[in-house]
Amino acid sequence: MINAILRFSVERRFLTLSLILVLVGVGLWSFQRLPIDAVPDITNVQVQINTEAPGYSPLEAEQRITFPVETALYGLPNLSYTRSISRYGLSQVTVVFEEGTDIYFARNLINERLGTIKNALPPGLEPEMGPIATGLGEILMYTVEARPGATQEDGSPLDATALREIQDWIIKPQLAQVPGVIEINTIGGYNKQYHVTPFPQQLLQFGVTMDELADALQANNTNRGAGYIERKGQQLLVRSPGQLASIAEIEQVVIANRQGAPVKVSDVAEVAIGKELRTGAATRDGKETVLGTAMMLMGENSRSVAQAVAEKLKAIQPSLPEGVKVEAVYDRTTLVDKAIATVEKNLLEGALLVIVVLFLLLGNLRAALITAAVIPLSMLATITGMVQSGVSANLMSLGALDFGLIVDGAVIIVENCIRRLSQSQHNGQLPLRERLQLVYEATNEVIRPSLFGVAIITVVYLPIFSLTGVEGKMFHPMAATVVMALLSAMVLSLTVVPAAVAVLLRGKISEKESPVISGAKSVYKPALLVAMKFRWLVLGSATALVAVCIWLATTLGSEFIPQLDEGDIALHALRIPGTGLEQSIAMQTQLEETLKTFPEVDKVVAKIGTPEVATDPVPPSVADNFVIIKPRDQWPNPDKTKDQLVAEIEEAVTQLPGNKYEFTQPIEMRFNELISGVRADLGIKVFGDDMDQLLASAKAVQEVLETVEGAEDILVEQVTGQPMLSVHPKRMALSRYGLNVEDVQALVATGVGGENAGLIYEGDRRFELVVRLPETVRRDIDSLAFLPVPLPDGGYVPLSEVAELELALAPTQISRENGKRRVVVTANVRDRDLGGFVEEAQARIAQEVDLPDGYWLDYGGTFEQLQSASARLAIVVPITLVIIIGLLVMAFGSVKDALIIFTGVPLALTGGILSLWLRDMPLSISAGVGFIALSGVAVLNGLVMVAFIRDLWHEQGDLMKAIVEGALIRLRPVLMTALVASLGFVPMALNTGTGAEVQRPLATVVIGGIISSTLLTLFVLPVLYALLHRKKA
Amino acid sequence: MQLIKPLYWILVATCLAASPLLAAQDRDDASNEAQQTAPETKGPHGGLLLERDDATVELQIFEQGVPPEYRAWVTKDGKPMTDGVDLNVQLTRLGGQEDTFDFAFQGDYWLGDGVVTEPHSFDVEVTLALNGKKYQWQWESHEGRTRIAADIAEKAGIRTAEAGPGSIERTLTTYGRLTTAPEQIARVRARFPGVITRVNVRLGDRVAKGDLLAQVESNESLKTYDLRSPMDGVVTERQISVGEIAGDRPLFAITDLFTLWAELQVFPGQRTKVAVGQKVLLQAEGFNQQANISHLLPSPNNAPYTLARVKVDNPDGTLNPGLLMAGDIVVETLEVPLAVENRALQPFRDWSVVFIQVGDTYEIRPLELGPSDGTLTEVLGGLQAGDRYVVDNSYLIKADIEKSGASHDH
Repeated sequence: MINAILRFSVERRFLTLSLILVLVGVGLWSFQRLPIDAVPDITNVQVQINTEAPGYSPLEAEQRITFPVETALYGLPNLSYTRSISRYGLSQVTVVFEEGTDIYFARNLINERLGTIKNALPPGLEPEMGPIATGLGEILMYTVEARPGATQEDGSPLDATALREIQDWIIKPQLAQVPGVIEINTIGGYNKQYHVTPFPQQLLQFGVTMDELADALQANNTNRGAGYIERKGQQLLVRSPGQLASIAEIEQVVIANRQGAPVKVSDVAEVAIGKELRTGAATRDGKETVLGTAMMLMGENSRSVAQAVAEKLKAIQPSLPEGVKVEAVYDRTTLVDKAIATVEKNLLEGALLVIVVLFLLLGNLRAALITAAVIPLSMLATITGMVQSGVSANLMSLGALDFGLIVDGAVIIVENCIRRLSQSQHNGQLPLRERLQLVYEATNEVIRPSLFGVAIITVVYLPIFSLTGVEGKMFHPMAATVVMALLSAMVLSLTVVPAAVAVLLRGKISEKESPVISGAKSVYKPALLVAMKFRWLVLGSATALVAVCIWLATTLGSEFIPQLDEGDIALHALRIPGTGLEQSIAMQTQLEETLKTFPEVDKVVAKIGTPEVATDPVPPSVADNFVIIKPRDQWPNPDKTKDQLVAEIEEAVTQLPGNKYEFTQPIEMRFNELISGVRADLGIKVFGDDMDQLLASAKAVQEVLETVEGAEDILVEQVTGQPMLSVHPKRMALSRYGLNVEDVQALVATGVGGENAGLIYEGDRRFELVVRLPETVRRDIDSLAFLPVPLPDGGYVPLSEVAELELALAPTQISRENGKRRVVVTANVRDRDLGGFVEEAQARIAQEVDLPDGYWLDYGGTFEQLQSASARLAIVVPITLVIIIGLLVMAFGSVKDALIIFTGVPLALTGGILSLWLRDMPLSISAGVGFIALSGVAVLNGLVMVAFIRDLWHEQGDLMKAIVEGALIRLRPVLMTALVASLGFVPMALNTGTGAEVQRPLATVVIGGIISSTLLTLFVLPVLYALLHRKKA
Repeated sequence: MQLIKPLYWILVATCLAASPLLAAQDRDDASNEAQQTAPETKGPHGGLLLERDDATVELQIFEQGVPPEYRAWVTKDGKPMTDGVDLNVQLTRLGGQEDTFDFAFQGDYWLGDGVVTEPHSFDVEVTLALNGKKYQWQWESHEGRTRIAADIAEKAGIRTAEAGPGSIERTLTTYGRLTTAPEQIARVRARFPGVITRVNVRLGDRVAKGDLLAQVESNESLKTYDLRSPMDGVVTERQISVGEIAGDRPLFAITDLFTLWAELQVFPGQRTKVAVGQKVLLQAEGFNQQANISHLLPSPNNAPYTLARVKVDNPDGTLNPGLLMAGDIVVETLEVPLAVENRALQPFRDWSVVFIQVGDTYEIRPLELGPSDGTLTEVLGGLQAGDRYVVDNSYLIKADIEKSGASHDH
């Protein structure tokens, strides 16, 4: 079949070449549709179900909301697992589906299930699904701020409430219109509310209760439509407006009539614009602010959406009141642009280097251009493939592309054609027919080895495709892109390259070997002859080198995925559970002031607690800080590394009392929040019902773990620590006064938490009208005991008389998984193999921890991934090896030759390991991908070399002569492939731009490896061949 | 991160044609910081094991069912020693306070003389004299302690005060309406029936004792006689006009509004603390007055509360009967030798603690607390007069000490 394709390409060369136009067209079209981002999306398929429950404590939220919601989800198709948290005012159930489930399908299913439990939930509570966004969704953050001295229309300063109103009613509605934006999430400031705050004494004075007050407000705040009447042929609409519109109007509402005298709201209460009981706040540079986050719809192009949002923000600015400033503080475009610029620069420079090398070595500009043309064409084909398979362009997927590798096949073909053409041109120009035949033959001569080479490289990527989970999501795009690029390059070298050679290499092809090559040959030949003499020495030193490098590899550090430097820093500031929002803000202010003292820091913004849409439901004790770093050229010392800066910042902030920190990066942080699995080596989940028992069992597990060898950082998940004031009604006392438990509860709930008494409309804007005790009363828990509880007969009784007030610690949050409460014990393992550790821990815990009925343990953590990855790889890797050897055997029909080529691979790897060691880089998957590419190159070169030597040998019958001659003929292509492949990676290896850290190890490995691999192909391979085949000769 | 190495190995192994299962999983990031400050080995009784040459001391703070006490087991050449041991433990606490324990053999173990008071945060020095040979161990054993540099503490708003005596006033908040006492209303009638010839006052007029209210012409004597006010007050009722016949009914009511009575409702739970004579702070809108409880009497209609009657002066007549008063009854006033401010108190484990400051170091002091009012709480134990303790932003110290436990759970 290959012959047929080749023949077709050469015969119908113009038709073949015109196919390029099609490819270019499709490629450009695809390029418009290629999603571009900085990193691959590693979020799983999940739906968050948030139910806001104002005033609910964690226990109530779990019992009333989380449990019914979880139960409703049982048995969903493709359901992987559910987990939930219940905390103050919020229940969040996260439903994770199997990979590959369509998110809209999943949401539909959930929607249907939620519909059936509407009635089982407390009235007024509505479960809502979180935005359809992934971990890459937070593309732009902006703050709404007042310029110093700016005032509202009425002359009062623009405070947090006013700014929030501007955000909610002017900015958000406009931003939400931007295509690709699914949600604008707000945190910070206060929702404007109208507060009616009755004084207990006044209520007693006039004998009205808070309930009556709330009822009166509700009954005097509606507009009513009353149909229409026809009058004199006209239709008259009838309506009775009665909505309250201002504080003055609210004050005039009559609550009751006491001996003919109306009791008005103003008699018993104060009415004012008040602050909601918020669950989160935002700060910027040490001051409170309002922070908006634009979330991108899943699958959109983050760069273009972020740009559109930023433009819209600029367009919104003029519509804002005087003195209000909206400013983007985090913009994904910056990062994506930087990352793409890095990739672009690497690829462009690499491509240029490749062309130069080709020209120098081939000594023929046309041939160089033909070869180089493979680069953009295969790139376009790859882009088309990426769009079709839904792979986004990012650092990972584009990072492993090396044009040198891609053009290898074409190089070999073009080189052979030139050689043959120039040889046959000794007798003058060839007629067309002969030339075409020659091109066909020359291509055919080398096409098989290069096809096998590409096939083998592709096969080597198989183990990467077997990775699952986060690792899979991270590296599949990389492997897929490389394979697509190689395949398209292979197809091109099979079709376009011979066609182009046939069309373009018409004139006289001189045998003038470029001086580089002839120089190299003059060195190589004597060296090869010497090597052939000291065969055993060559082999011995090669073996020794491999041994040394294997040892060296064990001394290299290791990291899983090289960290992409996002440029900015995200840091969690953690305070002890139970810390209040105001306290947290005070601590945050100090932290931000410290951060701002760094000249490298541009802006600091922070989200404290939970935003309006609970995408990340954390308590007020946790603050997510975004430290936006200035561009490097504005640093006092632009050579300072990011690590250094982070270390300095860490040192400065750890001095501040009461905060603990976790340093991360914005996107990384978001991924962590969403994936949220156990990130320790071993996580033991204790499932059961009773919180105290769960905690006791977890402690027991912890104690056993502490005695297992190798255990470190053993932690029991912190579940308590939320101080709670419980108002326990005394039933006997209540009955004495004719009260119900509910009366007391309602009083406390309304008084402290506030009761919603309707809405106040201002045009589109609507604000809650809330009845709540004055701050002075509700904040003072000592005086709460004296809060008068109204009696049915008009008297009162102090709260302490009918209820007991108790201050105790309660759960901060209740975590559940798969419908059961759970507490996690985590541990890391040091100086011991993980598998053995887990086994011992499991056995010991089973023996020593006595769990009550209805409680059970579940083992998870990274060890699970390791086990499954090991198990899978244990199957995949041998299969891969068999396939590779099988391919080689197919190519040569000889196991011996296949093994000769295969044994070359380790030597190729030595260079990679050495170069890593020289540059002081750890082993990582990126480096691993480099090793894979390397082994491909080694095999490819070996293949071509061995194939040539063998053919010559068969032709001439003299082994030694065949080897030397063959090796010399192959010197040029071997050097060329080596040089293009390694030079193509040089920019990548040296780049320091954003995202370079992902590519640097890979490039380093390839460059180092190719040097050793070339030496191997040039010296060791001929020696080995001679050794193994001398008996036959 | 345990995953890295095997995976790397597997990748290399692919190329090396070696089995991936050879993967070694040693970790190279084990931190081995040599901190030998505290003994880490545990003895057979669960205490700290101190070893030097041929002698060992196992030292334990035993606190199950008894106040924390030191127990020790001493061995020489592996043999338990029951006499001839001179063991001494000296604890130096923050601020320089030193506790010394001598040990006596107690059947099974050596028992330290005295209670190891909380917090168990001190520098420990153990001295052992055994057969004329001296052994010594020293280490730091700190808990509930943190260091904050002075400038940072200042910036963070941490303020300290010296613990000292204080006055604690405990109050109860009650409510009640203002009333007039029976003796403050005088209903004036005509002594002899007759015709009213003149009325001198109108409703609401202020009258003094002896002022003329009206004149009546007696039916019997046809003489006109004066009706005079029996006391100072305000005319609150007037039932008569000139020309009418005055009979049995009261013609005027004169009410003394210069003195009113607040009848505060004292509920059963509060009753025992309330007594006649106690000071009461009365409050209504725009009104504050200090008075004393004059009487305690059961409520009418057998309602479950008691009425505390408090006399209220109303010289300019701004108060009215029927007005609701809040009365803070001062039920107890204590002069205590040692008190701390309430905002300094923080819960810490099972204790209420304050944080003392010595230099840049802060440490918990679990307190035994006495009575408390809105601002001060008496300290019965756990703190010395003169100790500097954190008043403002004490939460920050608690947060700093406990922060290692803060985590970011989802």
